[in-house]
Amino acid sequence: MISVKNLKKSFGDNEVLKDISLDVSPQEVVVVIGPSGSGKSTFIRCLNMLETIDGGHVIVDGKDLTDKKTNINKVRTDVGMVFQHFNLFPHKTILENVTLAPINVRGVKKSEAEEKARILLAKVGLAEKASAYPDSLSGGQKQRVAIARALAMEPKVMLFDEPTSALDPEMVGEVLEVMKQLAKDGMTMIVVTHEMGFAREVGDRVIFMDNGYVVEQNEPKALFDAPQHERTKSFLSKVL
Amino acid sequence: MDFRFDIVTDYMPFFLQGLKVTLGVSLAGVLAGLILGLFIALGKMSTNRWVRLPFNIYINIFRGTPLLVQLLIIHFGVVPLFMTPSNPVVSLVIGLSLNAAAYIAEIFRAGIQSIDKGQMEAARSLGMTRVQAMKLVILPQAFKRVIPPLGNEFIVLLKESSLGSVLAAPELMYWGRAAAGQYIRVWEPYLTVALIYLVLTLSLTYLMNYVERRLSTDDQR
Repeated sequence: MISVKNLKKSFGDNEVLKDISLDVSPQEVVVVIGPSGSGKSTFIRCLNMLETIDGGHVIVDGKDLTDKKTNINKVRTDVGMVFQHFNLFPHKTILENVTLAPINVRGVKKSEAEEKARILLAKVGLAEKASAYPDSLSGGQKQRVAIARALAMEPKVMLFDEPTSALDPEMVGEVLEVMKQLAKDGMTMIVVTHEMGFAREVGDRVIFMDNGYVVEQNEPKALFDAPQHERTKSFLSKVL
Repeated sequence: MDFRFDIVTDYMPFFLQGLKVTLGVSLAGVLAGLILGLFIALGKMSTNRWVRLPFNIYINIFRGTPLLVQLLIIHFGVVPLFMTPSNPVVSLVIGLSLNAAAYIAEIFRAGIQSIDKGQMEAARSLGMTRVQAMKLVILPQAFKRVIPPLGNEFIVLLKESSLGSVLAAPELMYWGRAAAGQYIRVWEPYLTVALIYLVLTLSLTYLMNYVERRLSTDDQR
C-alpha cells in the first residue's frame, strides 16, 4: 500500500529524516512512536507530500510521489490525514466541513455528499452536531469530525499525526475509540502517537524512531516487552 | 464674523452634483482596487521570486510616491496617450484604483497570511488544489479579518478623491474651491465641504461596523 525507500528530509542544515525505509501492507495498522524531535511527524507528513521530499522514494498505491508526473492532488484524495490541531474549517458547519472536499474535489452531488456525511457523523457519534460550527465543539468532538471529514473522501489509507496530543485527558478515549473501530473495519492506518496503550492494543506493528532513523520495529508485544536496542529500552522505561 | 448661509444654499446644487461624482469615483476606485489588490496580493505571495518581483515593484512605487504626483502623471501623461481630450474623472478613477490597489494588496496579504497554516494543509490533504483551497477555505476566512483595515482604506480613498479638484474633476472639493474663488470666502464653502465629507466617512464607518458585526455573528454560534 505504502512503500518508503531511503527517505531523506532536511530543514536547512538540520537533517530530520536520515534514511527511512518502510513498507505498509493493506489493512495494516502501523504505530510510530519516539521522542520529540525524532522526525516521526515529519515522516508521516512526507507520506502525502505536506513536506517536500529531499531524497529517496515514497510510493503510495503504486504511485511514486517523487515522480514529477504524479498528480499529488489525485494521490491525496486516497490518503486521509488527521492533524494534532484538528484544522477544521471554522467558517463552515460540521456538515459542510465533511462535504466540502467530496463535492468540490470528487464532484459528488450535494445531496449525496450530505447523506454520506450524516452516516459518517453518526458513526463518530456526532450526528446531532451536523449544523453546529466547530467553535462550539469540544476538542474530542472536533477531532472526531476531522476523522469523519477525512473518511468522506473514501481514502485507502489514513494518516494520524498525534491525533490525541492536543486533547484534554478525558477526551482522548473517545477519539481512540473511533480509531479502534476504524482499524477493526480494515482501514490501513499509520498513527504517530504517544498513546502506548493504543499502540499495544490496536497496532499490528510498532515503529520506534529516534534522531531521524527507524531504530527498531516489531509486533507491539515483542517491542514493548522485549526491546532490543538500548535507545528503545531507555525511551520505553520513561513512558511506560 | 458673519456666516453667509446664502452662499451655502446658492451653491448646494453644485455641491450635490459634486457629491455624486465623489461617491461614484470612490465606489469605482474601491471596486477596481479590491479586484486589482487581490490579484496583486496573490501574485506577491507566489513561491517563485521572479513572479513576486513585479508585484513588489508595483506596491513599492504606488505606496512610495504621493498620490497627487501619480494623479498628475496619469492625467497629463498617461491617459492622453489613449484618449483625447483626456477626461479628469477617468484619470481620477484610474489613479485612485491603482493607488488603493497597492494598499489593499498588502491588507489582503496580511489577512491571508494570518490564517493558520493548518487550514491550507487540511485543505490540501483532502486533495484540493492550491486554488481550490484558497477559494473555499482561506479567502472566506481572510475576508472577515480584513474588513476593519479595508474600512480604513475606503475612508482614506474617499477623502483622497478630493485631490481630483487639482485635475478639475468636478467632484465635491472642486465645487468647494469654485465657490471659494467666486465669492472670495473661505469659511462657508470649505466648512460645508468638510461637513459633507465627515457625514460620508461617518456613514462608511457605521456601515463597515455593521458588516463586521454581521459576519462575526453569522459564523460563530
